Amino acid sequence: MAEKAKGDVLQGTLDMLVLKSLQLGPMHGWGITERLDVGSERVLQVGQGSLYPALYRLERQGYIASEWGVTENNRQARFYKLTSAGRKRLAEERATWARVSRAVDLVLRMGEG
Amino acid sequence: MSRPIREAWRRLTGFARRAPLERRLDDEMRFHLEMLTEQRIRAGLSRGEARRAALVAFGGTERFKDEARDEYRSRLADELCQDVRYAVRVVRRHPGFAVAAALTFALGIGASTAIFSVVSGVLLSPLPYANPDRLVVLWESNADRAVDRNVVSVPSFEAWRARATSFDGMAGLVPLPATIAGAPNPERVMGAEVSPGYFTMLGVAPALGRDFASDEERSGGAPVVILSDGFWRSHFAGDPQVLGRTLPLDGRPHTIIGVMPPSFDPPQFGWLTDQAFWRPFGATDSNRSWGRFLLVVGRVKRYLPIDVARRELVAIAAQRAAEDRSNEGWSAMLVGLSDQITGSVRLPLLVLLGAVGLLLLMAITNVANLTLGLVRRREHELAVRRAIGATSSRILRQLLTQSTMVGAIGCAIGFLGAVGGVRGLVGLLPPEMPRTASIHIDGPVLAFTVVASLVASLTVGVVAAARVARDGSAALRESGGRSATRLRGGSLVTVEIALGLVLTLLAGLTMRTFAALRAVDLGFSSDRVVVARVGVSGDRYRTPAAMQGFFEELLARVRTLPGVEAASATSGRPLGGIGPATTVGAEHTAASNDSVTADVRYVDRAFFQTLRIPLIAGSTFDSRDGLTSPPRVVINETMARKLWGSESPIGRHARVQLFNGITPEVIAVVGDVHLADARTPPRATAYLADTKYPNDARDIVVRRSGSPSTLIASIRGVVTSLDAAVPVYQVTTLDGLIGRTLARDRFTAVLLGAFAVVSLLLAAVGIYGVFASDVAQRRKEIGIRVALGAPAGGVVALVMQRALTRAVVGVALGTAGALIAARAMASLLFGVGSADPVSFLGVAVLLLVVAVAATLMPALRAARVSPLAAIRTD
Repeated sequence: MAEKAKGDVLQGTLDMLVLKSLQLGPMHGWGITERLDVGSERVLQVGQGSLYPALYRLERQGYIASEWGVTENNRQARFYKLTSAGRKRLAEERATWARVSRAVDLVLRMGEG
Repeated sequence: MSRPIREAWRRLTGFARRAPLERRLDDEMRFHLEMLTEQRIRAGLSRGEARRAALVAFGGTERFKDEARDEYRSRLADELCQDVRYAVRVVRRHPGFAVAAALTFALGIGASTAIFSVVSGVLLSPLPYANPDRLVVLWESNADRAVDRNVVSVPSFEAWRARATSFDGMAGLVPLPATIAGAPNPERVMGAEVSPGYFTMLGVAPALGRDFASDEERSGGAPVVILSDGFWRSHFAGDPQVLGRTLPLDGRPHTIIGVMPPSFDPPQFGWLTDQAFWRPFGATDSNRSWGRFLLVVGRVKRYLPIDVARRELVAIAAQRAAEDRSNEGWSAMLVGLSDQITGSVRLPLLVLLGAVGLLLLMAITNVANLTLGLVRRREHELAVRRAIGATSSRILRQLLTQSTMVGAIGCAIGFLGAVGGVRGLVGLLPPEMPRTASIHIDGPVLAFTVVASLVASLTVGVVAAARVARDGSAALRESGGRSATRLRGGSLVTVEIALGLVLTLLAGLTMRTFAALRAVDLGFSSDRVVVARVGVSGDRYRTPAAMQGFFEELLARVRTLPGVEAASATSGRPLGGIGPATTVGAEHTAASNDSVTADVRYVDRAFFQTLRIPLIAGSTFDSRDGLTSPPRVVINETMARKLWGSESPIGRHARVQLFNGITPEVIAVVGDVHLADARTPPRATAYLADTKYPNDARDIVVRRSGSPSTLIASIRGVVTSLDAAVPVYQVTTLDGLIGRTLARDRFTAVLLGAFAVVSLLLAAVGIYGVFASDVAQRRKEIGIRVALGAPAGGVVALVMQRALTRAVVGVALGTAGALIAARAMASLLFGVGSADPVSFLGVAVLLLVVAVAATLMPALRAARVSPLAAIRTD
């Protein structure tokens, strides 16, 4: 499977990635997929089928807020931005991620000197 | 807003804001698709191809929307739908439960809604006047004579009005019955004279025409009158051109200047009944000397405490008592208008409301009982649900949904029943009940029903859920869930017995009161006696001789009618409401010591014999009592005792404060008569001869042997043949009159009796239910006992003993409650104490009998349990 390297975003990390992408500034759904696409050097491709539910869930939970805005080519789009609760959540998720990824890394290097 | 609250809010509103959400999803999806398409176009595809590719890449648009929606929609709402479906399933699988529970709810809700509608209309709804809480009734009071609400003299009224600063207005009222001549029958209608400014003070105005001018009564022009809406419609066919026409009142034409709106319901209190017309009232030299006869209504200034006005009024009365010796001993009294109008029925209505509340509690208890029975049958299922992860709160919600659904059905049935029942209830109300026109099912009543139903449903649900929480895990462990020998629903048995006892006791006390009142010897015989009032007016009867001549001729002719055993006349029939009274004394004592209040009646010489009032001493009026002869008086035993003790009063002179003081010779003593009602002990009574003091209106009292209706028609015929302009009115039998005075006690006795019967039924059904399911659950245990040789009697005793322990506790609790409740209604009782041991004992025994009877069938069933049951069950 050629797509293997471009695997789906790990369950549970999508929220963190969305929050991170919004830390750069308010953005619409399409822009978020672009940011993740570019930012991961095309490894992480987030389908809209998971992106929008995640956005609505995060908004409902109060981590992000949204409002209608205008894109640079003058189109109506819904822009999402981080709330202070979202910033805190992102920090927590990053800390957890760092701990887990280090742990996974340690395990994978076992016996490899 | 904190985050959880905001989220909860969003969940709830998300459900409601469905449409905006859909639009947002569509818009976002469209934008995203466009961007995808543009990306494809940049990659070199044609617009059409790009669009198709974008759609493929996007995936199913509907699935996308579904998923997005799911994230937004409230889980709570979804679960609610599940719960409702679940409740419908449970109810449909147990139709017997559903019907019984809904009907029990309906009974409790319906009865309490009906009673509440009466309480709401009569006691709670504000009087239909502007700022009614500022309106008060002003009375004179006299501690020495033990009167606290005495009508007011014109000079007192004038002094209050001139000196008091706490009032925005004050008006005098005089009830004014008047004869309206007319073919075929002249009529007697009730009206009132009212001070100009009275209507403005109440905040009402004529719908047609004008109010009285401020000096209308002094203007000296033709007399004027304002009509009630009802009278205008019945006598002038609602003619809008009625203004300026005349209405002859007592033969004198009055110019109609206004018609009140249909919504105007004039205050009724004292002897002021419904009013058909109003005339202006003003003080005159003549009426200043009439003594105390005015009713006074006032409006206390806004924001001023009523007590301040009361103190000011008392201070003015004290000044007047110091200024003028004739006012000595007289003070003043101020009562809220609403209290004045509804005061006498407040307690009976509140007692009924309390009683119906207890009935509702019993209904709730019974439904809780039924629900527990159902829960018990589904115990295992519930335990499994908990075990596989249903939270307690979810199970609580399911039980609440179920009980609310049953409650809603019961509430709807009960409410419909109440809507129909209220009309019947209003028909049952005693005639003295004020404000019956404002009794209807309205917003507050509906709110009461909804709140009562919700409280009832929630109580049932919570009780059931508490039981599940307690028993749930145990049930699963025991696989089949029979938790040994503990009686389930035992506390409900106690509650039912306690509530049933309180209700039955209240009913018992009121029924004994009613029986005691009926048994009172009223002092006269009402057997086959018809009473009709005849009033003469106009120029023809200006002289006392003309008046007297008419009545003597009338009675002479009535006595010759077929079927008449005896006939006589009196100024006021017994039990006919408030009549004249004054102070009396023995002639040899000082006048200033006169403190005995005596009722005064003017009667003819046949009166005592016609009503069979026993003659104790002396002989009654005869031909010596004429217009010019010296006054003579017949007194009752109470007056003889109060004035002369054990000495014989015959031949002595009494002092009577009438006609500027008379000293009639006492010629006879007769038995006491209850003039007011059966409850009030007879007062001193002085009978004067109507031949000496003729009255223009008299009650004709006739003892008949034939049918009452032909007799009444004959009396009317005789009156018409004498003078076609003379009205005959207030026609009734004395038995009917007695019934009227007992109407309030009958009403409370009948309703409380009905509540008691229903409460006993509910208690019996509830207790039966508890023990039937108890025996069913313990078949195995009982089987073992039987197998081990327990005799049938022992098994019966086992069940009975459980029932009786609960019942005895219930009786104890109920007795305590009933003692408190009965004391609260002590003033309604007559001839029986509020802690009457016979009633308490009897009711306690009755409740124990009900408990035993309700347990008997389950107990006998238990005795028939075969030892095989021990093996067979499970």
